[in-house]
Amino acid sequence: MPLSMRLAIKLFIRVLVCSLSVVCCVHAETIRAPDPSQIPAEAKARKNTLIATIAAPQGVFNPYLISNGWDENVTAAIFGNLVGLDRQGKPVSDQAESWTISPDGLVYTFKLAKNLKFSDGSPLTASDVAFTLTFLYDPAYDGETDISLAHIKGGDAYKKGAATSISGIVVINPQTIQITVTEPGATTLTRLGGPILSKAYYGKNYQKGKLESLRALSNKPIGSGPYVYENFVPGQEVRFKANPYYFKGKPAIENFIYRITTDATRLQLFQTGGTDIESFPVNSDNIEQLKEMGFANIHVYPSSDFSLIDFNHKKPYLKDARVRQALIYGLDRKKLVDLIYQGNGSVANLPIAPLSWAYNPSGVNTFLFDPAKARALLDQAGFKPGKDGVREKNGQRLSLTLLATKSQFNDALIPIAKESYKAIGVELNAEISDFNALLAKRKAGSFDLATYRTSGLSDPHDGVKDFRTNENKFGYGNPKVDDLITKGNETSNITQRKEIYHQLYQVLANDPPCIFLAYRNILSASNSRVTNYQPNIYLGLTGILPELRLTGAK
Amino acid sequence: MLAADITGRKFTAMRAFVLRRVLAAIPLLLGASLLIFLVFAFTPGDFIDGNINLTAQRAAELKALYGLDQPWWLRYLHWLEKLLHGDLGFSMQYQIPVTELLGQYVFNSFLLASVSMVLYWGIALLTGVLAAVQPYSLFDRLLTLAVFAAMSFPVFFLCLLLIKWAAVDLGWLPVGGMLATGSDTRGWAYVHEVAIHMVLPVITLVMLQAGGLTRYFRASMFEALAMDFVRTARAKGLKERTVIFKHALRNALLPMIALAGFELPALFSGAIITEKLFNWPGVGHVHIDTLAARDYPVLMAFTLFLAALTILGNLMADIVYACVDPRIRLR
Repeated sequence: MPLSMRLAIKLFIRVLVCSLSVVCCVHAETIRAPDPSQIPAEAKARKNTLIATIAAPQGVFNPYLISNGWDENVTAAIFGNLVGLDRQGKPVSDQAESWTISPDGLVYTFKLAKNLKFSDGSPLTASDVAFTLTFLYDPAYDGETDISLAHIKGGDAYKKGAATSISGIVVINPQTIQITVTEPGATTLTRLGGPILSKAYYGKNYQKGKLESLRALSNKPIGSGPYVYENFVPGQEVRFKANPYYFKGKPAIENFIYRITTDATRLQLFQTGGTDIESFPVNSDNIEQLKEMGFANIHVYPSSDFSLIDFNHKKPYLKDARVRQALIYGLDRKKLVDLIYQGNGSVANLPIAPLSWAYNPSGVNTFLFDPAKARALLDQAGFKPGKDGVREKNGQRLSLTLLATKSQFNDALIPIAKESYKAIGVELNAEISDFNALLAKRKAGSFDLATYRTSGLSDPHDGVKDFRTNENKFGYGNPKVDDLITKGNETSNITQRKEIYHQLYQVLANDPPCIFLAYRNILSASNSRVTNYQPNIYLGLTGILPELRLTGAK
Repeated sequence: MLAADITGRKFTAMRAFVLRRVLAAIPLLLGASLLIFLVFAFTPGDFIDGNINLTAQRAAELKALYGLDQPWWLRYLHWLEKLLHGDLGFSMQYQIPVTELLGQYVFNSFLLASVSMVLYWGIALLTGVLAAVQPYSLFDRLLTLAVFAAMSFPVFFLCLLLIKWAAVDLGWLPVGGMLATGSDTRGWAYVHEVAIHMVLPVITLVMLQAGGLTRYFRASMFEALAMDFVRTARAKGLKERTVIFKHALRNALLPMIALAGFELPALFSGAIITEKLFNWPGVGHVHIDTLAARDYPVLMAFTLFLAALTILGNLMADIVYACVDPRIRLR
């Protein structure tokens, strides 16, 4: 019996045996520590130090040069943002006190908070914002931030060398900056309102086209966020101190450490008091073990990502929407979600997580598992069962290749999908590789189906932008979808956007660009000596860090 | 006079031998570097492909900036040219020179590996020899059982068991890492702290490695004890202790020299699973991470470094052979 099969069965049995506490998917839930007296001595002894955890920071502590999410978490604590997000993912003021957007959506005027300072005590002004945005248009800039999506006026001219500055960026006074863009975009606000680099510090020896001096500062960052970077012990930890110049006031906890932990021992480390805040794979085993510790506050809260299976629309047999719908109806997603998340996830039907303000499933086809309907749809599409039971049409057998990575999720998905699809006359072959190779194979077009999980998405536009005909690399195209995506991105009025996305999600369900699989919750635990910890995926740890307190702190 | 002459001749022969072997290592390393480069270059995906959020246009821009849009042979030549100037390149992920990056992690791996190596060579030597001296005795049988038991433990399970007992239940030792979180110790306090953190990973490595080596030592010693010269030595009336430790052991150690030569790269390569489970900041996980991210400069540099160490280890074993065994002539 293959390993994945055995694991799936094991998980399945576990689901049957455990009577599950039903946890609602959308709202965060906290189980209070039953016995805070059990706080380990090691944690108690740390009077004014909070230890959170991180997997693999690499030491590139510049928010625009990072190449992984861990370094991004570190820079978030050091730099903060001009524009933040609220608990539903809506933009809210942070280091920018307020902003206005012109009615045509082309002129953004930001007003910076008063008393905004970098951690070296120097003021953060509009010219620092201008410096940061201009730097992102440097032709030698090789980071992951794609400022071209903000369409700042004159940006391309500067990048090509036709101008020495960007005409769309105008410093009005030290506290006010005006940015003109050439195309409206709902995500432009957060693109412009990111972390700010100090011009005096990062721009000191920097010249256009030469990033070396700026890159050399990646291991000694200076920002305007709640915490000041102290040092990085490679493979061990990143240390911070509270920023006395933080514009909302110095955070209450003096020392903050991101400690590097691994999957195998994160539970033991938390249990012995080595860490204060930690996250775990969400399952009933982990929740049980945390409960037994007595001192752990347990938090289950929704994530902003989702898992999916991409179709390769360039394959003739996947062009027919009926075949794609049949592949959704014919897949037992509920079984998958129950098996993996054990009550802490739900079947996905929209390209946005339930936590978001844009989530509205009413009227959107839920594609409840229905093999009979799937068979009927395949019949209609002209695919008839062949000799070996696999459906075919004009000699084209419905034998599909699924690209997947090695993960616990896929260990359950693959056997379930194989079995479900066999029952509707579709053969499935899985091809396992690492994520990088999966994306490369997907790009080369040598696949029928490809499964993965998105990164965390805060704006609904991020979930659908790739479905536009000219953006989609796999042959998906639907004029109505194009139109609605463009409309949804043209305005920043939340009420209007809600309505547009609601329509879009209904259209997408009729002509599915992919199979949405599952939303999931995140499980995190905090030592009960930490108070005010109410995690939220959009805020991240940095967003709530200044509010945290330690009981027993001096 | 004759002896001095022989030594002199042997020394000249040795110098020529070493020189020849070092020269021969150059094309070998070049070939290895090409092979390694090809394997990495033809693995699907590159550093930019791994980022799912990039638009096609930005991805193309970045590939051009990183030189990933060039054909593989041109990239190889660029890499080689830099190498000949003593430049191992710049990590794409970590954005620091590869030498600086490896410097941050290789020492930690070396520390762990060298301490455990001394221990398991010592243990294997002692137990292996004792077992061979009294073959099929109760001691030998118990040892064989223990050795196979230790070897058959899955690393993963062994590590977790040790952590549960020593760190969680008893609270004697730290769960993982190399230093206590937030520690600012200096001097001897620092050494002490690192030593405490090393106990569990070292026990794991010793348990896993000592077993196989004990078998080698036992077999080698067993063979040596059956040789004619051992019988002669005993017939001469030498003390048993002298027979075993002077005559038999010295000969039994010869085949172990080759094994020791192979240990050289292992000193620096990092024990991936053990390091990962004990959160030891070694080079093993960096190697795996850079593979996942397709960070070619680091992969190339590190793999080639290990290849060079393998060649060096072999060369050193040959030289040591020639030094300790007068029967061997270097040609």
